[in-house]
Order: sequence, then C-alpha cells, then structure tokens
Amino acid sequence: MSAADPLQVLASAGKGESTRSVLRVIILALIAGAAISSRLFSVIRFESIIHEFDPWFNFRATKYLVANGFYNFWDWFDDRTWHPLGRVTGGTLYPGLMVTSGVIYHALRALTIPVDIRNICVLLAPGFSGLTAIAAYLLTNEMTPSPSAGLLAALFMGIAPGYISRSVAGSYDNEAIAIFLLVFTFYLWIKALKQGSMLWGALCALFYGYMVASWGGYAFITCLLPLHSFVLICMGRYSTRLYVAYTTWYALGTLASMQIPFVGFLPVKTSEHMPALGIFGFLQLLAFLDYVRSAIPSRQFQTFLWLFAGTAFGVGLLGLVVATSMGFIAPWSGRFYSLWDTGYAKIHIPIIASVSEHQPTAWPAFFFDLQMLVWLFPVGVYLLFQELADEHVFIVVYALFGSYFAGVMVRLMLTLTPVVCVAAAIAVSHLLDIYLNAKSPENPDAAADKDADGKKGGKAGLKSTNKPLVGIYAGWVKSVIVSSFAIYLLLFVMHCTWVTSNAYSSPSVVLASRLPDGSQHIIDDYREAYQWLRQNTREDAKIMSWWDYGYQIGGMADRPTLVDNNTWNNTHIATVGKAMASSEERSYPIMRQHEVDYVLVVFGGLLGYSGDDINKFLWMVRIAEGIWPDEVKERDFFTARGEYRVDGDATETMKNSVMYKTSYYNYQNLFPPGQAVDRMRGVRLPEVGPQLTHLEEAFTSENWIIRIYKVKDLDNLGRDHASAVAFDKGVKKKKPAKKKGPRVLRVE
Amino acid sequence: MRLSLSFAAALFAAAVSAVSTTGNRLLVILDDDGDKHVYSKFLGDLKSRGFDLSFKTPKSDSLSLFHLGERSYDHIIFFPTKTKGLGPNLTPNLLVDFLNAQGNILVTLHSNVAAPTSLAALLAELDIQLPADRAGLVVDHFHHAADNSSASAHDVLLLPPPKPVRSDVKDFFSAGAGPDDVLAFPRGMGATLGASALLNPIVRAPATAYSYNPKEQVGALTADDVFAAGTQLSLVSAFQARNSARLALVGAAEMLQDAWFDAEVTAAAGGSKKKTLNREFAKRLSGWTFQELGVLRTNWIEHRLDEPGDARSNETNPNIYRIKNNVQYTISLSEYAWDSWTAFAVPDNDDLQLEFTMLSPFHRLPLSWDTSRSSEAASAYTAHFRLPDQHGIFNFRVNYKRPFLSNIDEKNTVSVRHMAHNEWPRSFVISGAWPWIAGVAVTVAGWLAFCAVWMYSAPAKQGVRGDKKTR
Amino acid sequence: MRLLPTVLSLLGCLSTTALAAAGGSGGAKPSANLRKLPPGERFNLFHGKATASSAAAPLKLVEADYRALVATPRDYSVAVLLTAMDARYGCQLCREFQPEWELLARSWTNGDKQGESRVVFGTLDFNDGRDVFMGFGLQTAPVLFFFPPTMGPHATPSSDPLRYDFAGGPQAAEVVHHWIARQLPNRPHPPVKRPINWMRWISTFVVVTGGATASYVAWPWVLPVVRNRTVWAAVTLIAILMFTSGHMFNRIRQVPYVAGDGRGGISYFAKGFQTQYGLETQIIAAIYGILTLSGITLAVKVPRIADPKTQSIVFVAWWSILFVVFSLLISIFRTKSPGYGFAVPPFM
Repeated sequence: MSAADPLQVLASAGKGESTRSVLRVIILALIAGAAISSRLFSVIRFESIIHEFDPWFNFRATKYLVANGFYNFWDWFDDRTWHPLGRVTGGTLYPGLMVTSGVIYHALRALTIPVDIRNICVLLAPGFSGLTAIAAYLLTNEMTPSPSAGLLAALFMGIAPGYISRSVAGSYDNEAIAIFLLVFTFYLWIKALKQGSMLWGALCALFYGYMVASWGGYAFITCLLPLHSFVLICMGRYSTRLYVAYTTWYALGTLASMQIPFVGFLPVKTSEHMPALGIFGFLQLLAFLDYVRSAIPSRQFQTFLWLFAGTAFGVGLLGLVVATSMGFIAPWSGRFYSLWDTGYAKIHIPIIASVSEHQPTAWPAFFFDLQMLVWLFPVGVYLLFQELADEHVFIVVYALFGSYFAGVMVRLMLTLTPVVCVAAAIAVSHLLDIYLNAKSPENPDAAADKDADGKKGGKAGLKSTNKPLVGIYAGWVKSVIVSSFAIYLLLFVMHCTWVTSNAYSSPSVVLASRLPDGSQHIIDDYREAYQWLRQNTREDAKIMSWWDYGYQIGGMADRPTLVDNNTWNNTHIATVGKAMASSEERSYPIMRQHEVDYVLVVFGGLLGYSGDDINKFLWMVRIAEGIWPDEVKERDFFTARGEYRVDGDATETMKNSVMYKTSYYNYQNLFPPGQAVDRMRGVRLPEVGPQLTHLEEAFTSENWIIRIYKVKDLDNLGRDHASAVAFDKGVKKKKPAKKKGPRVLRVE
Repeated sequence: MRLSLSFAAALFAAAVSAVSTTGNRLLVILDDDGDKHVYSKFLGDLKSRGFDLSFKTPKSDSLSLFHLGERSYDHIIFFPTKTKGLGPNLTPNLLVDFLNAQGNILVTLHSNVAAPTSLAALLAELDIQLPADRAGLVVDHFHHAADNSSASAHDVLLLPPPKPVRSDVKDFFSAGAGPDDVLAFPRGMGATLGASALLNPIVRAPATAYSYNPKEQVGALTADDVFAAGTQLSLVSAFQARNSARLALVGAAEMLQDAWFDAEVTAAAGGSKKKTLNREFAKRLSGWTFQELGVLRTNWIEHRLDEPGDARSNETNPNIYRIKNNVQYTISLSEYAWDSWTAFAVPDNDDLQLEFTMLSPFHRLPLSWDTSRSSEAASAYTAHFRLPDQHGIFNFRVNYKRPFLSNIDEKNTVSVRHMAHNEWPRSFVISGAWPWIAGVAVTVAGWLAFCAVWMYSAPAKQGVRGDKKTR
Repeated sequence: MRLLPTVLSLLGCLSTTALAAAGGSGGAKPSANLRKLPPGERFNLFHGKATASSAAAPLKLVEADYRALVATPRDYSVAVLLTAMDARYGCQLCREFQPEWELLARSWTNGDKQGESRVVFGTLDFNDGRDVFMGFGLQTAPVLFFFPPTMGPHATPSSDPLRYDFAGGPQAAEVVHHWIARQLPNRPHPPVKRPINWMRWISTFVVVTGGATASYVAWPWVLPVVRNRTVWAAVTLIAILMFTSGHMFNRIRQVPYVAGDGRGGISYFAKGFQTQYGLETQIIAAIYGILTLSGITLAVKVPRIADPKTQSIVFVAWWSILFVVFSLLISIFRTKSPGYGFAVPPFM
C-alpha cells in the first residue's frame, strides 16, 4: 500500500539530501499514478464515455472548438439549444476546460500522436488529479518543515473520495481542472506572501486568471485571499510582504479575470468581488500610514493613525453598503446569496433549489467523502495554532469557511477537501515524526534541560505547548501508534477505493443494476433513446424535455432542445414547465409556438427508477407557477388531503397534465387488467389509462425509462384533434340535429 | 417540402400530358353505366381536357382508392347513387385518407336520392351539414324556372352567375358571364356550412329560397322545421384542405346533365328565354376541383445578405446572419390556369406578406413585385429589410391562404447571431474612450519615467528599506 | 390551519347565540334594503365607513353587511378575509395573519381615499358569519376571498370569488398585496406602508452604544481574551466540528431533534443516508470531538509529559479511547449506509 511505504523508506534509507529528493520524486510519481489509476473504474467497467449531464455540453463545446478554431469558439452562437432563442455560448461559458483539452489535443497531434478528442476529454480529470496531488504536496510543504507531511497530503489529495467524486474518468466538468488550479493558486499565494515577491504574486495572478477562465467557483479565491489578508491585518501583522503580494495579485488577477467574456466587468460591479477591492484600497491606506508612522514616531500620533485607519475602513464599508443599496453595485447573485441566507433559494429561486447538488450536506456525506480525515482535520488545524505564522492563518481561515460552505452545499465538499487533506496530513506527519523518532530521551531530568527549544510560542502560544517537548520513552508506545496508524491508513485507502468503485464510477447515462443471481445488468435506455432520435428524426427536429436532459440530447442525439442544464433563462424553463403541467389543449399552442416536434419524458415507473420526471414534476410546477401564478397552481396537484398522488385518486389537473399522460400512456397494457402498478411510487394505477389527442407515441425505450412523443400537426381538414381522433377511432359524429336555441349562422 | 412536392407534381403532369397539376386519373362513381350518357357532355369535356376516366359502381370489389399505400386515382366524382352506404371501399375514413393524400373529390347530390351515409359522414367531418335524413329539396317561389315540366313545384332555381365571396378574392366561376345570365339548379339539395375557414360557398341560394323534405314535410311547415333558408343554404360549396386537396359539393347533380347544359329557360319573373350557364360553370367548377384552376406554386425562394461591399452578399440562402444585417428576400410564384403556368399577380386590394418571426413576428412586410426577375410563367416578389437587434433562430415566413387559391406556407429558418468580438468599432474610433486611452498612456509613461528615476537615484546606504522596496 | 368541523360540533350549542349576535349587531332589516341600493351607493357607503377613521379598514363585517357587500351586481371589488379569531378555535394562522391583513387594508384604503381602485376590505369572523362559512363549505380558516366586479369597466365574466391560498403558512402583507394587485389591472395599487418601528431603532441604538462603552471600559480585560490564541483555537475547532457534523443541514431542513421508531421507543439515528436527526448530529459532533481531542493529546500533550510512567498511562488511556471511539463511529456509519463493509474492533 503506497500509504505506508514513503514513511518507512524515508525513515530507513533516507540518508543524504540527494537520495531523499530522488525518493520524493519517485514517491510523488507513484502517488500521481495511484491517483490516476484509482479514477479509471468506469472506463474499465463500461467504456470510455462521458458521464452525467454537464460534461456532455463541455464535450460538445470542445468538439466545436477543435473543429472550428478558437475565434469561432469565442464568438460561438449556438442555435441548437434554447430554441428559438439560441444561446451566445461563446460569451456565457468558462472556456478554460475546453481550451485546455483543445491545446492538449493539438499538442499531441503536433507530436504525431493521433488520439481521439473524446479520450482526451474522458481522461482529462484523472490526469489533472495527479497534478492536484503534487500541488497539495507543494502547498503542505509551505506549512510545515516536516517533509513527510507533503507526501501524505499528496496521497490524501490523490485518493480522497471528496475530490474523486468530481474527477473520475469521464466526468469532464470544470471542477476537473479547477481544483488543481485552486490548490496551486493557494500555493503560489502563500509563496508570494512568505517572500513578499512580485514574481510569485504575478504567477499567482496568472493562475488565478486561469482559474477564473475555468470555473465559477473562482469567487471562493476572490473572497478567501482578501479575508486572509484582513485577518492578518487585524492580527496586526501588516507587512510589506503582504502589501506586495496582495496588490500584485489583485491588480493583475482582476485584469486577467476581466478578459473572460462571461466575467467581463463583474469584478468591479458585483458584491462577490467587493471584499477584494475593499482590502486593496485599505492596504494602500495602511501602506501610507505605515510610512507616516515610520516617519513620525510619536505614541499618540500612532494611536490616532490606527483610529483613522479603523474609521476609514468603517466608512469604506458603509459606502459599499450604500452603493449596493443604491444599485451601483449588483447585490449578491442568487447562487452566492443562497449560501448565506440558506432559506433564500427555496423561496425565490426554485430553479437553484431544485438542483440536487445544491442541497445541504448531512453528516454521513462528510464521513463518506473524508473518512478518518474528518477528525484528523481539526487536529491539524490545532497544530497549526502552535506557531501561528501567516500561512497557518490562511489554512485556519480556509478551514473555517470551507467547512461552512461544504455544510451548506453538497457540491462544495469539493472546495473543502484540499484543506482537509493538508491539515490531516500535517496532523498525521506530526504524530509520526514524534512517534517514529528512533532515539528516546534517556531520563526525565536530562530531557528537561536538553530540550530547550521545545518552548514554542511562549506566552503567545497555546497553553498546551508551554511545557518543553520531551519525546516518547517507551518503544512499545511508538510501535503501537505506528501500527495502529498504519492500520488506519490502510483502512482509509480501502475505504477510498470502495467508495470510488461503488459510488462515484457510474456514468449515470448507463445504469448498472444487479440481477437476482448477482450478475451485473446494464440498463442502457438513455443511449438507446438518443440513438433513436439521431437516426429517426429530422436534423432540426426540436425536442422538448425537462432541462436536465438538454445537454445529453444536444450531445448524444444532436438535436435542438428548448432548454438545457445551462439554466440562464428562467422564463423559458418555466414555459416548458407550463407546457408539461397543463392539459394538452392548453400546451399545444405553446408547443406549436416553439415549433416543438417531439416531447421526451423520463419514466421510472416500470423499473422503479427514482430520478424520473414524475418525481421532478413538482419542481416544474413550482417554476412555472413562479411566472404564471394564475395558470399553474401547485395546490391543484395535491389532493384535498394534501398528498401528491399519481394513482386513481390523483387530482384532475394531475391526470390531465401532459406529463402525467405521457408518462402513463398505454402503461396499463403491460399488466393484466387492473393490475397496473407504478413500481417507483408503489401505487396501483387506474384500469383505464390516459388518452392522447394532440400527441402520438413515437418511441419507448426497452425499460420504458425514456418515452418520446410526436406533436401532431394541425388537422388537415381543420378539425380539432379530439374529434379527429374520435373519427379515426370510428366514433360516429352525432348529428347536430334538433339543436336548441338559435342556430349558428355562417357569416363571411 | 411542399416546393419539391409541387415540382414533382408538375413533372408528373408534364409526363402524362395532363392538364391537372396533380394527375389525370379520374374515378367516376355511378350506380350503373346507364347513367353515363346522361352526363355525356360533362364527362366528354373532362375527357377532352385530358383526364382518363374510369367508371365504377360503389359496390364493385375491383374498386380501391389506394394501392400499396399510394393513391390509385387522383380525383373522384360521386354521382348520386341509390345505395344507402357506399360499401367497404369508400368508407368515410378512406375518403379522408384520400383527401389527406391530396386527392380531390367532386360530390354531387340529388333531391330525390338520399345522400350515401359515408358521404354524409365525410361532409360532416368537413363541417358541412346536410338536411335531416340526408334528403331535402330547395325550392324558391320567386326565382324558379317557369317553363319546364314541373313548373308548379318551383324546384328548378334560376340563379345569377356566382359572385366572389369577398371583394379581394379572384373570381373563378362566373368569369365571362353577363349579369343577366342564369344558372339552372334543378331539384337540388342545399347544405349549410359551418364556421370552418377551409369552407367557402360558391353558389348561395337566393334570399327567398328554403329547403324542406318533400317526403316527410308535406303540408305547412313551421319555422324551426325548416332545415335552412335564404343565403344560409349553400347550393354549391368548396372545401380546400390544408394540403390544398379540394372537395366540391354540387347540390344538384342534374345541373351537370346534358339536359341542362344548353337548356333554354325563362325566369318566373318573366322575360325572354335564356341559355343556361351550366356548361361553362361545370367546366370551371370541375377545373377548380381537379386542380386546373387557382393552383399556386412556389418556384424558388432566395434570401441573401444585402450589404454593399460585403463578400458574403453573393452567398445565396445562408443559414446564419448577424443582428442588424440588411437582407433581401425574394419568392417566385406561379399560378396554373387550365393548361399552363402563368405569373401569379396578387389582387389589387390584397398583399403578399413576409413575416420574420421568432415566437412572434418581428417584421411583417408587404412583398413587392420584382419585375427584373419576373417572367411570363413566374412572378417574383421581393423585400429588403434590416434584421432586428435580437439574436435567435428566426423564420422567413410567407403564409398566403386565400379562398379558392391553393395554400402557400413557406418557412425558411435562419439563425441570427450576435456581434462577433471583432465586429465592434475599435476603441480609438469611439470618442468617449479617448480619456481612458489617454489615461493608459499616461500611466505607462509615468511608470517608465519612475523606473528611470529609480535607476538613477543612488542606492540607499542602509540596505533594509532599499531591498524591502526592490522586492 | 385547524379543521373547523370540530369547532362546529363544539359550537352546536352556541350557534343560536352566534346567529342572534349576527342579527343583533348587523341589523338584518337595514341590510335587506342595503342590498337593494344601487352598487355605486353601496360602494360609497362602505368606502365611507372604511375611510371614516384611519383604523376603520378592514371593515369588521357581520353576516348581513357581508351579504350586502358582495351582492351582485357590483361595480367594485371586495376582498374579504374569513377568519376565526376566537381563542376557542385555536386558529394560530388567523392570529398571525390578522395584523398583516389590517396593515394591508389600512395602507391601501388610506392610500386611496377617493376610492379609485374601488376595493372594499372586510373581515368576517366565524362568530359573526357562521352561515357564510357553511355556504362556502369551508373546513379551514383563514380564507381570503376576492370578489371581482360584475359590472362597470373592469367587470369580469364570472361573479364568483377568487380564493387566496394560504398553503405557505402566514403570508406577509406585501405578498397578499401583490396577489390583490394582480386581480386589479390598470387601477391604482396603493403600496403597503409599514409604520416605522421606533422601538426597534431605539433599542438597537442603545444596545450598540452600550456595547461600545462596555467594551471600551472593559478593554483591559477583553484584550487578553481576544489576543488569547487558545480561545481562538477552541472557537475554530468547535465551529469546524459543528459544520462537519451536519449542523447546517439541520438549520436548513428543520429536522426533528429525535423521532420515535414505530415501536414506541426513540430512534436516535435516522434511517437513510440523506437524513439525520438533531440529536444524531450532536452525538456525531461529540464523537468527532473526542477523536480530535485524543489526537491532539497524543500529538501534543503526551510527548511533553516528563515522567515516563505517567506518559505511558496517559498514552494508553487516550489511545484506547481513540481506538474504541473510532470503531464506534464506523459502526454507526454502517447503520446509516448498509453495505459498508469495513470495521475495526471492538465494534465489528
């Protein structure tokens, strides 16, 4: 197990600086290899395939980039999504990921290595995870003198499930490279701060720019670095190093970030970026005051200066608030705001609240993703308090906010993982350094005076570290600790492998299920359906589905969609929600207006597949209700007793909604009469299923997960669809004989 | 789609040297061949116009409208038949399929013969109501022919030549007829039309006419027993489906009979004997029904960038434009009249309109006649306009649907993209940007100057502040 | 909301009195001819009542007034809140919404003294209008009805009222205002004016200044605490443990503290991976805390113990705690996610 070997090796053979460094390189290489290989489960089990939803868009965009070159990509107007609005894709995405893989692709071509762009996209995330491990190594080495800490951090970073969850082979998402950039930017920041060097600051800004180009999560850096600086200032640790590092980073980094069309002028307009700006100004002030102070050494004057600084800060803050309230600065955007006011999204932006990865994190998720790191993490943070150097303050601040955000949003577990790995590695290495120390102190009194430098921090330090460091006497104690921690690390490695292979390696496009006899059964309905669309529909047939499947339809079926996972236009999504939630007669005009040719719904009733549209239906209703409160009412979908039902007792609105009809159309024919059962909801369905008039069934996948319906054209003879269907069924049109009341006259 | 279809139709027509644009196989449904010579002139006219007629009785098993899913006839004429239904080969559903497959149908009724149920059902689908029990007689005590056998019955209506339904509709059926010519409508059944936009009456009953059932409603009848009266009674009606398949309903089959083609009649109001218009009318009616009249065709559609000096202006029908581009749209239309394609001229008080639409029209412009690109056989209509300042997927749409003219509904989809990053004016041409540009320049210069000064100034003796700064 | 049938049964005896009260106070007779009045005058009458004093709106209706008010034809709109304020019915929602409703009605009526929007706000209590509740077959309270005009420029085809739905618990005045404004297109919508809460301003001012002075006075004592690194470390660790044990989940989802299992006992741990109870998280936080503490002790304290014997004893104590608690943690996790195969002794 690679968890243990660096330690023994270092302990025994580690003589001489050169051998050590060689060993380090080898070990790092091994760790990177482990990180990469542990992410290949899905490729081995299924195939080299793009996972989930967003990656499909990134993949499509990358193909476009590779095919049409950078400038066309930059100005890309995508007329295959958000029909008929289209999407200014080039200006509304983070190009970093696509450009990265594009560069790799062309580089390999230049080296005459013919490689399919798909494989590059699939393997990009594992590749970068190796780099992330190395970045973690570097960052940790800045924190502690102990060399083993870095290696441990690299190892943890490499295999921690919290990070693997978003970086397995095939999950070709922004996070794949963003986490590496995050850690590396932090490393450069620490470097710049420690040395107060412009060079490192500029490098930091450079990678910050890269990060901005890659992931919306860059705001985390944008807020964390100023916060760190602010805390340092409050601790009275203002220094020229801080000044140089921060100003360099901010000036260059902001310029760099403004080069991304999607970001544009946000850095000077929105609240997320205001802390950085404020601290920047405040630092200028402090630098000036510092200069004045050094010039005029007078006690009262200095206090006056500090008061002045404080008031200036307060005034600046006030000004910021006023500017925001008066609208010069955009308030916190919904996504960010929902991090602070956790109830906000649910009420105001259902579209955000509806996304599963925006849900809060329950404790099992933490343990699942971090296992024993979750309690080693505070230990490491505590150890950093011993000598609280500037960089340690950074880790502490990062730890606090990272854990808060991770608690609020599941996906932000990703930003927490690096600091957890670093802190935990520091803790473990500290333990091992003490307990692996071969030579023991002879006897107490000798030890007492020998260990003079044991006093760390003195009075300013922690109470616990006032006593001198003695060391461990008994050999068996050492062996116990070493062996137990070896076991724990082993367990950790096994845990990570198990989690990766069981939880994070399924490309949700292909569902794997176990048959009674334990053998694996692949459910491939999605690709079956998308392939059907690709082969049996017009090139420009518009597909209406709920937005979750937009990217996949665009990527796999290559057909235009009305809405997709880039939820930039709430009204358009609400329109689809309305079309799904209203009766056929009401939604037919909407579909005609949007030139919808096919309606695609996901139905899990036959298979007991939980992620189907009936379960998401209430979100559609809510989002639609947000725009048309009078036409769509969530209440109408609940029975009088306030239950959400799909069986015979479902409300009329529910039964007449397009979603319900398309989901359950002809479903009862699979069963003997009256036996129809929805295995997902576990309810018995009425004997007579819904009837369709404006839609006709076009395709149903093997396990009925995907159902596709064709939207009929207007009737050729000018009848309404209901009567046309009735006529085709052979129902005699009853004579309008002996009509009561005045007869209707035709007027030209 | 429709374009290609009409082309195919045209080619096909040329191949068989038929006059109709949709083929010349005409099926005639009769009770027995004996009836044939009653209509000999009418059928003869059809034959002379190039149709090849095949006569069938409803019940004959050799009769089938479709063969391997293709139409085996292009047009059908139904003459009155005694049978109640029309048998399994002419069920309403089959007839609807026939219409959906762009077949045309001419239905004739007779007051003494109850209309077959399947025809009644078909007409009901088209929102045409027949009298109760599918039988009825239209009489008019003021406008009847005075001088025939059953003058007392007042059941031979003499009607003025049909006027167009609306002022902006081209007149197909009365052309050439003087105002005092008459059309004989003997022993016919009237129908009422629903509000469907696809329906149009060709000949309406006079205000004084009414319909009743001679078998049942003997003696006096009250107002609400009357099936319909006055202009609500449509004697000859036309239906054109969305796919331009046509169906005409003639209330009186007799008016197509030789007897009435050149009969001399005198009106009840008196006056001299006049020759009826029936023959000419029958020709025009059948011509319209069988796609010889009022058939429109889109020859080609062309839109292109209209920016002088832009190389892309030469590209025809590009599928992407930029917002605020100037574009030109041209559509070429032809109208078929009897035997040749002619340039289609929009009536004076009507407009051919172009819509540029996404969700809803952003532009709705009249298309103007482009003489330079028009010819005898085709007329080109064109419009220049500026694309809206809104990117998206738009449609050039020409939707021209008029009574008795086949439908034109052309849709060409184009994408309108946003400004590319290099299509904006450069900063230095925007006067508002000059202060900022100047600011940049000053900053750069100042920094260089500062560096120069810094280099020249002697290094400070006490190294602390010196290297603190140089860091 | 609380089901009213129980109330009805409970009220069986009181019904007569309620009706009597209604007849007495409302005056059935005047209301009869009140209903005869042309709609314009009716509106002026009620609007005059409403604007008589600034606190008159919403009108406290009795059944007779109500019937007169909503009688058709009417060229004005009526917004009536059917509520049950009486303590007997224990309608929590009614009492919570009442102030908001009065605020809305007052600021609207006073904002529109000329009655251009032609709306009358009224409140009908269950005690005064039992039959109205019956007529609508209402099971719950409160219910807000909006009667659109049936004649005049803004007449709507159907005269039957629109019902506002209190599904989302007590609503703020602004929300209801928005709903009513939607029913009254192209008419003035006087905004909701909340009175300035002087009390709060004063109290905050006092608190702030007081805090400032106190901290200034106590500065010499406060400063060491602020500067003390151990305090900060403790705070940080506690915060981290709180967040990593899923505290935010409880905050956002308002999970129950504990829940009973089916068999009358108490289940401390929620079934399922995605759920948790309040107590559960506290237990987990405690476990994490113990583990962290032992880790810290082993790493920092133990090697600083000068005496070998004590060192060994302390070590054994803390190490065994670590060992046992960690295995306990894993076993708990196994209960949360069945199928998790790993364990360390003693809790296998």
